[in-house]
Amino acid sequence: MPQIGEAVASTLPSDALSRARTRAALVPDLLVEARRVVATVISGWHGRRRRGIGENFWQFRPFVEGDATTRIDWRRSARDDHTYVRDREWEAAHTVWIWADPSPSMLFKSKGATVSKESRALVLALALAELLSRSGERIAWPGLTDPSSARNGAERLAARLAHAPTLPARPDFGNVRRFSDVIVVSDFLDPVEETVEWLDVLAKRGARAHLIEVADPAEESFPYSGRTEFRDPETGEKLTAGRAEGLADEYRALYRARREELVRHAKRLGWSYTVNHTDRLASEALVSVHFAMSGGGGPRT
Amino acid sequence: MSFLPLSFGFTPVLFGLLALPVIWWLLRLTPPKPQTEVFPPLKVLARVLKREETPQQSPWWLTLLRLLLAALVIMALAEPVWNPRERVAAGGTTLALVIDNGWASAPDWNRRKATAERLIRDASDSDTPVILAFTAEKPNTEIGPFDPEAALERLNAAEPRPVPVDRAGTYTRVNEVLPAGGGASVALLTDGLATPADQTAFNALLDEKAGRLVWAAPDRFAPLGLTGAQNEVDGLHLTAIRAPGDPAPRRSVVGAFDERGRRIGDATISFAAGEANGTGVLQVPFELRNDFASLRIDGQDQAAGVRVLDENDKRRRIGLISQSEADQAQPLLSPLYYIRRALEPFADLVEPQTTDLAQAIPQLLERKPAMIVMADVGTIPEPARQQLVEWVQGGGTLVRFAGSRLAAAGNDEELLPVRLRVGERSLGGSLSWTEPQAIAPYPATGPFAGLPAPRDVNVSRQILAEPGTDIAERTWASLTDGTPLVTGAQRGRGTVALFHITPEATWSNLPISGSFVEMLRRIVQLSRNQGTATAAAGEQAPSLRPFQMIAANGALVPPGPDARPLAAGATAVSIENPPGLYGGEEGVVAHNLLPAEASFAPIVKPTPPVPTSEIAYELDGSTPLKAPFMLAALVLLVLDTLVMFWMGGVMRRRPRARLAGAITAALLAAFVVAAPHDARAQDTRPGDEQAVAAISRTRLAYVVTGDNRVDEISRAGLEGLTQFLIEKTALEPAEPAAVDIAKDELAFYPILYWPVDAGAPMPDAAAIARVDSYMREGGTVLFDTRDQFASGFDAGGTPSNERLRDILAELNVPALEPVPEDHVLTKSFFIMNDFPGRYSGSPLWIEASAEAQNSDNRPVRTGDGVSPIMITGNDLAGAWAVDSSGAPMLPTVPDDPMQRTYALRAGVNIVMYMLTGNYKSDQVHVPALLERLGQ
Repeated sequence: MPQIGEAVASTLPSDALSRARTRAALVPDLLVEARRVVATVISGWHGRRRRGIGENFWQFRPFVEGDATTRIDWRRSARDDHTYVRDREWEAAHTVWIWADPSPSMLFKSKGATVSKESRALVLALALAELLSRSGERIAWPGLTDPSSARNGAERLAARLAHAPTLPARPDFGNVRRFSDVIVVSDFLDPVEETVEWLDVLAKRGARAHLIEVADPAEESFPYSGRTEFRDPETGEKLTAGRAEGLADEYRALYRARREELVRHAKRLGWSYTVNHTDRLASEALVSVHFAMSGGGGPRT
Repeated sequence: MSFLPLSFGFTPVLFGLLALPVIWWLLRLTPPKPQTEVFPPLKVLARVLKREETPQQSPWWLTLLRLLLAALVIMALAEPVWNPRERVAAGGTTLALVIDNGWASAPDWNRRKATAERLIRDASDSDTPVILAFTAEKPNTEIGPFDPEAALERLNAAEPRPVPVDRAGTYTRVNEVLPAGGGASVALLTDGLATPADQTAFNALLDEKAGRLVWAAPDRFAPLGLTGAQNEVDGLHLTAIRAPGDPAPRRSVVGAFDERGRRIGDATISFAAGEANGTGVLQVPFELRNDFASLRIDGQDQAAGVRVLDENDKRRRIGLISQSEADQAQPLLSPLYYIRRALEPFADLVEPQTTDLAQAIPQLLERKPAMIVMADVGTIPEPARQQLVEWVQGGGTLVRFAGSRLAAAGNDEELLPVRLRVGERSLGGSLSWTEPQAIAPYPATGPFAGLPAPRDVNVSRQILAEPGTDIAERTWASLTDGTPLVTGAQRGRGTVALFHITPEATWSNLPISGSFVEMLRRIVQLSRNQGTATAAAGEQAPSLRPFQMIAANGALVPPGPDARPLAAGATAVSIENPPGLYGGEEGVVAHNLLPAEASFAPIVKPTPPVPTSEIAYELDGSTPLKAPFMLAALVLLVLDTLVMFWMGGVMRRRPRARLAGAITAALLAAFVVAAPHDARAQDTRPGDEQAVAAISRTRLAYVVTGDNRVDEISRAGLEGLTQFLIEKTALEPAEPAAVDIAKDELAFYPILYWPVDAGAPMPDAAAIARVDSYMREGGTVLFDTRDQFASGFDAGGTPSNERLRDILAELNVPALEPVPEDHVLTKSFFIMNDFPGRYSGSPLWIEASAEAQNSDNRPVRTGDGVSPIMITGNDLAGAWAVDSSGAPMLPTVPDDPMQRTYALRAGVNIVMYMLTGNYKSDQVHVPALLERLGQ
């Protein structure tokens, strides 16, 4: 009897280096995959390439009547006879923090799934990075990169991911500022209280979070039966069930209850919550998150 | 294990059963190994799992199953044996084994052989020499001593014989080879049947040389023996014997078989309680009795239960004598006519070649008839008469009929049953007061007893018997006034009977009534054949060759090598003369095992002065049980595996359907592989599909010339014609077929269009031969030289024409003619006079219908058959050819649209002619026929 689920890479915590290598090997492919996925999502991002209130320089333009004289950029005006005003780029909470869960529990792929959870999470993260950087958003990976705007933001991010030796199990949201968007891709399998606890940091900082739960179909449907020993890839803990099929109903109820609670929490905070199964297409989640970020509709499950 | 007939070869292995508690303890402690699964949401699962008690021990029944398995394996290793055989400790310096293999041993010969084999094996354990003798073998048979292996081989080669045993001789011979020192073990395996010389035989054998006697006799002697079958009036009377002292009544069924072994009759033989003799009657029609060749007691597979029957038990030969010359013109007045008709069904009739009694009677007597019928024979010449008297005295039956000659002849004490008055008595005549008399009911004591007296029979004239004291008892039938009609009397062992009337219908109408047949039958049944056929044939054969022998198991078999001819009169059954039929196809003598007076006496166990032990005949019933035990263990193992699968959840996993499907598929595959589907598979041959496609619809076919251009035009042409046919007619052909005359089957196509192309290679002789046979078997080839235009000025000289000539030179081409005006081809669908193609002008040549006549000016000449060949030069296909859009491909010459239409019509006519034959020529005459029928 072959196993239903498998760990796609070593899941021992001590093998962080090898996992990082695996991930690094994975990232280029995933980047390509992410671009393919992005291509299926029509970029409907509202144009932001215009002047407005912002932090960053946008353009110099001649001073016209009505402009506040305080906005004259004298340094530029001194170079010729005209007077110039320094415009800044319009900026509206446009830093998007993207984070994918690197924990060993993500290294799981069951028979029914097409890819592992980690792979799917990275694809989603990179696809969003690509999508956002194409439309000029500043993207960042907490603990890995700072917010920056670049056409090739996804590529840069991928390069950084590929070279990162280890990734922390929990993101450091210390640099997240107000009105930022935060995309968290994880399986959210920790107890809900813990999850809520580390996500509450974002709520306190006033950031808007988009939670994407990557779930394996085997986790959801629990197709196990017979005498089965279950092993937790993160802790190595083992549990033996005498007749696993007898547990299925109860397990499914608990599993769903966990998700419901997270969804409720997200909804309360005005966040979006998207579930993506690894046997479905990544673009489904992408469209959904994209939609949520564009400000339409509430969180989706 | 004394309470069970079970023993073990290696009892120490059974101590392994002590390990069972240990196994039990181990099994209880070891749960089945779980399936390992990585499962990230373990924390969620953990909350569920805490509440469940994980079974850590195997269920008790699984443990029991495994313990049973272990116990079975241990017991199988101990080599269990069911029914262990007893050992006969014969001992001694020599084992003398004397086995009765006469007919009485046949039913349970295997049992005897097994017993003997045990004795020999025991002897072989101690390496004792074995003297092996059989009592029903030839006296010169070697009896040993042998070493045990050779004795075993001889034992296996021995078989029961259908003859009585000869104990005295055999025992004496055994005694001669016994070692002088004594101490030999003598084992007598008897058949339980006493022979007269038993006591002598025992005394001869069991002298001081024999140190020990092992005695075996069957518990009870069960065989039945058929001792006789007498053909009586009411049936075949059977007598049988059984061993005396059997207190129970017994009934056995006897089957009667004909020469070819078919069972044609059944009878029951019943033995009264305690009675050794049983009787039964086989009541079947007399005619059927004649077909009996052998009788067999059901369930008795030994020679005594079978009795063969010979001619003596069969059809009677009956001699017919008449003094008057048979009048062929008036057979109904012939004196023997009615007798012959009455006797033919159940008797062989013998008639002398002459009417001269002095010669006729000796001739008849040579044939040893059972009965002689004399129709109105008066005085018999002396030497013949004396022979006849002797024959009657010896058992013959003489039946005489009255008549004017007998009435005129004097009395004959020996050949007439009663004294007769001279002259006859006439009843109901003009000078008589009495009416014609009917027949009174038959006396209950005569041979006709039980027959209903005919009421419609009148006797108007008869011969009267002199009244006498014994006239009443000699009367077999009488008239209502008491005068005897049939009288009979015993003469010696024979019988003389007289019908006081003529054998034809002049004196009475008795001969033409059914009663006459019945009366003659009764008399015939009284008679006995007076000799066998071979003796009757005049050969003084000293002996009869063996014909069919009764085997030891009661079957009739061809004679074996030991069978010798049977001397005349010999009755003893021996190895040289086993029971059976002797003689040949023309006549046989039955040589039966049991004489009529035979009886079965049980053998008496001797009381020799040596120690005696008694053994029973038994098959070696010991059965090694190792294999069944192992098999049971294997079954349990499979069961355990299935249980493990079930507990491991294989059966409940999600891919259950897939697994079940896979198993089903595998089983199906196994069945399919194992199934004997070869018969069908071998039936298919390569090319069948094309053949089916070719014949499932009618197709026009063209010959592939090899020139692509020509072939394309042919195909397009036939395609165009096909479309035209579909439009205009009820015929809907499929796409045209391209035919390679060298390879493809031609018989599928009604017509072959053959564009003759000089540029194409000449077909080889084999291909031409195929076309020839195609034409002979009803196909038609339409040759098209397509050169009418080219040959306009020089007829016959074109290359295509030359090529056509070459081809036709190798074909059987009938005489040809251009299509005559009244040929059916001109009217088979459209009425047309010529058959243009792209060109017009070339005639269409077909087989000349020389014998066809067109009398009476009919529209169509009559004639059968379809022309196997058509030749044209008009390039029909060129005119028919259409491209994919349906537009014509080639212009006609001259470019006339109607010519193309005519060309297509010509094609329709040709195809219709091909498919319907002369039907159309009959069809055009329908109006004339209807007119002739007056409608």
